[in-house]
Amino acid sequence: MDERNFQYMFYGFAVAWFLLAAYLLTLVARESKLRKEVDTLKRMLEERENKG
Amino acid sequence: MKTKILMAMALCSGLYLVRNLYIILLQLPDEAAQGAIYRIMYFHVPGWITSFSAYFLAAVASLYYLVKRDSRADEFAVALTEVGTIFTLLGLGTGMVWARIIWGVWWVWDPRLTWAFICFLIYAGYLMLRKTIDEPGQRARIAAVVSLFAFISVVITYKSIDWWRTQHPGAVLSFRTGGEQRIDPGMEHMLFQNWFALTAFAAVIMFLRLGQERMQRELDALRRYTHNL
Amino acid sequence: MRHVLTIAWKDLRSELRTKESINAAAAFSMVILVLFSFVLDISGEAREFGGGLLWLVFAFAGALVLNRSFAREQSNDCLEALVASPLPGWALFLGKALANFALLAIVELVALPVFGILFNAEWLRFPGWIALICALATWGMTVIGTMFSALTVNLRLRELMLPVLVYPMLIPVLMAAMQLTSALLSGAGIAADDWVWVKLLIGFDIIFTSLSLALIDVILVN
Repeated sequence: MDERNFQYMFYGFAVAWFLLAAYLLTLVARESKLRKEVDTLKRMLEERENKG
Repeated sequence: MKTKILMAMALCSGLYLVRNLYIILLQLPDEAAQGAIYRIMYFHVPGWITSFSAYFLAAVASLYYLVKRDSRADEFAVALTEVGTIFTLLGLGTGMVWARIIWGVWWVWDPRLTWAFICFLIYAGYLMLRKTIDEPGQRARIAAVVSLFAFISVVITYKSIDWWRTQHPGAVLSFRTGGEQRIDPGMEHMLFQNWFALTAFAAVIMFLRLGQERMQRELDALRRYTHNL
Repeated sequence: MRHVLTIAWKDLRSELRTKESINAAAAFSMVILVLFSFVLDISGEAREFGGGLLWLVFAFAGALVLNRSFAREQSNDCLEALVASPLPGWALFLGKALANFALLAIVELVALPVFGILFNAEWLRFPGWIALICALATWGMTVIGTMFSALTVNLRLRELMLPVLVYPMLIPVLMAAMQLTSALLSGAGIAADDWVWVKLLIGFDIIFTSLSLALIDVILVN
């Protein structure tokens, strides 16, 4: 394999994989955050109903 | 159940991508003129095709929303546009690295590159616009119209290599050259395989994003409900 | 068609009575022209950058006029009244676009001679071509500007979102106009290579106009 270009080829692949991985991670993070918020809200509502 | 199918799809596309990476790196030969760097093509070209397919489907979903006023179509439109924008970034990033070696600079103001960048700006504007509108119906309506306008820039970017003399390489894939073989069949075959893998991966993240959009709406509805209590 | 002219005439009259945005746009275009003279080396003729500079001026100054097109109707719920009236949406849009086109043309007519004097540009070498390109590109700008003005009229962050959305959308039109105007200012005229830009400009006008007319009802009816 051409040694000279190899380094930049690696950069290019790294850009692609890193971007996709980073997006996937933000999606996972957002997912758990959303879940938590929905759960808290639902619990709040239940408590309110139990009281009333 | 749905999440299990999604997980299986994610696993499959991930494994497929790794398998493709192995073949691209270790089994395919260097390209005669460019050396190792040409391998960026296996991500660059499929990445752009995936991105533009996502924008196209987003435009279709937007049109469907405007005709039927079905909020599910709007959910699809956001998810598709966001994934399309990620793949636009991927295409721009890999292209810049390639340009650094082949042209000696990271960026030139060539028609193809300029239009691609405009596409990115427009769709980034679309995503920002969505964040600034709170009322779901109004947001969906305005976003759908913007999406249809934005798709014009995608068409121009796609056709720009035919309309202008560009520094960017012209069409090589056989479905665009009218059957003429401008690329080694083995390389083209691999390119299609990686396209398939990337599109499968894009579908996975699109459905993930779609699920979140639905959850977000549920959350907003709950918030409004509690607020009105 | 009569409705279109009624709306256009109404907008033009109300603008010309106060001359608010047209004065601001003309003054602003002068300011940009002066600012650019600091940035660029203008010892020679404005050959290379002339077209680009001119259209940036038109775009920035024109945005002042276009942004207000629908926002103007917000006071006293005029927009609701217009939408509720038997007037079809496309007629309202076309009327407003025509009025904006006329206002932008006035601003351009003021800015062009000043540009010619300050930057030593012979913009009258191809009067027919210049007029045609200005008309085509200004119509493209007007349609997009009016459409996005309608789109964002009810938004909370209107002033923020409008430039972010409108300028990228305008780039195709501006790019074509800049290329062609630069070719004209340099004295070369329209070469065979430049025809793609003329076609692009015409294509844009047709596509954007028809898309706007098709979609305007969706935007206005709430």
